[in-house]
Amino acid sequence: MQQPDKITQYLETVRQQIRWKRAQPVVLEEIKDHLTDLKSALLEDGLDEETAADKAVTEMGDPVLVGEQLDQVHRPKPDWGLFALTGVMFLLGFVVQFFIDSILKGTWTFEQQIAWVGMAVIVMLAAYFADFTIIGKYPKLVFFLLCAITVFCCFFIGQVCGAASYAIYPLLLFPTAFAGLVFSMRNKGYGGLIICGAAFAIPALLSMIVPSLTVFFLLGVSCLILLTAAVLKGWFNVKKLSALFILYGSTAAVLAVLLLMIMGVGYRADRVRVALNPSLDPNGMGYMGTTIQRILSHSQFIGSGTQMNGYGVPVGASDVLTTRILPEVHTDYLLTYLTYEFGWITLLAIIALFAAFIIRAVILCNKQKSVLGFLTSTAIISTFSVQLIVYIVSNLGILLFSPLSLPFISYGKMALVTNSFLIGLLLSVFRTGELVRDEAETVAGRHNPFIQYDNGKIIIDLVQPKSS
Amino acid sequence: MAIDKSLLTGSTTMLILRLLEEADMYGYQMIEELNKKSKNVFALKAGTLYPLLHSLEQKELVTSYEKTADNAKVRKYYSLTKKGSSHLHAKKEEWKVYSSAVNDVLGGATFATA
Repeated sequence: MQQPDKITQYLETVRQQIRWKRAQPVVLEEIKDHLTDLKSALLEDGLDEETAADKAVTEMGDPVLVGEQLDQVHRPKPDWGLFALTGVMFLLGFVVQFFIDSILKGTWTFEQQIAWVGMAVIVMLAAYFADFTIIGKYPKLVFFLLCAITVFCCFFIGQVCGAASYAIYPLLLFPTAFAGLVFSMRNKGYGGLIICGAAFAIPALLSMIVPSLTVFFLLGVSCLILLTAAVLKGWFNVKKLSALFILYGSTAAVLAVLLLMIMGVGYRADRVRVALNPSLDPNGMGYMGTTIQRILSHSQFIGSGTQMNGYGVPVGASDVLTTRILPEVHTDYLLTYLTYEFGWITLLAIIALFAAFIIRAVILCNKQKSVLGFLTSTAIISTFSVQLIVYIVSNLGILLFSPLSLPFISYGKMALVTNSFLIGLLLSVFRTGELVRDEAETVAGRHNPFIQYDNGKIIIDLVQPKSS
Repeated sequence: MAIDKSLLTGSTTMLILRLLEEADMYGYQMIEELNKKSKNVFALKAGTLYPLLHSLEQKELVTSYEKTADNAKVRKYYSLTKKGSSHLHAKKEEWKVYSSAVNDVLGGATFATA
């Protein structure tokens, strides 16, 4: 069997020219298909094996030259726009935290945050160079590992203010793991859809145990987006309309039950009403919301806000606002504070920055050829966006969901690291996405391994199908 | 007849896009088709074709998908995008101007000597 070696040798030479390892298999596959086609055509013309292989290789052209040309085409393509925007967010967080720290004096928040920025950058780079397709290759492993970590954080790590706050961060990774799970349900029909729904129940339940309504909301929205996207792509191989009907029908049913549970208890219903309209109970449950809206009503478009009375001291000096009125300003109410201090324009500028990032990411996400790349980036964009939206809304005084974090900007070490990881992974998808193929199904029918292990038996297949 | 290589590369893009305008094809098919259409004048080497196709794909002039062909083999098919189609039209116009200019000069010379 000399003939295949000619072709193997040729492919090996081409492979050596392509520096980007991840591009090699994808590119070589196509060249190999071509060579086999060419060879079998030549065989049909009456040439013998060896001459056919020789001729096929010659007609292909110099392997070094071919490899070099392919190498030039296939280079990793980092998206510098998103990199720059991420850099700006990091920098903005840095400046804002420095500024707040200088007012709060002696809280050391800035120094702590800086130390964690270093950590966050390392995590981001690690995620950036990691192979995100692991999510699609071992979806169950990833999913259950994440479950285990979350459960551990829920029950074995200290609680903050009566909530297992550390469990929030692994929970933020769930939509991404869920993307891998959805990916693994290709052609699995309604059963696949149901498995996804059941799997969603696990993190949803965990978010209730924390408890964090915000995380529950984030998970719900993200997973719903993922399933909708997958259904629309025909991933489950079911009728799109009926699948969407099932999906949204069951979501509505779950929401209705939850709403009944919430509204059935008097004080909870009141909380919801007050969250939407804080002025109903300005000194009780609506206190925070009323205060925020009052601060905002004293804010100007540009420049610092006008004086507010009624807090014992006239509010004008920045330290009064931060130390007496807005608790945890560097974590939860940065936007309210910045709006009062520097005007609405600051809020608009920050929203514009994040919007630019999200829009760019969505454009790149839609360009993904592989469903895995598409789903993974969708999950991350959604996790990022929901955090942002919840933060903005709560900083406008509507405290239906308490803020988690303003990614990269608000104070919070774990939030910073978690978001850095997610964005690193997102950039990784965009860097290598063009090479990812969703081969799960086709490979099975295509490769006929020489040795198979099936149901306790080792099958050695000596009759290999001809490569024609 | 072997045609000078540099003459080919410039117009190869145009030829490939033109092929894909008619139907989606995989690489091997394109070379066959090109041979047939050009009566073996454009014996495009596959080694040249794939890097070119891949760069066209990155420029979003073509897009690719995998499909099982008649013989149960999975092939990477290429298809022309909207952007590719308008690029092709621009190239065609360019080519018309260029070739008519060449013909004018060549034709003019014959006329003068006649």
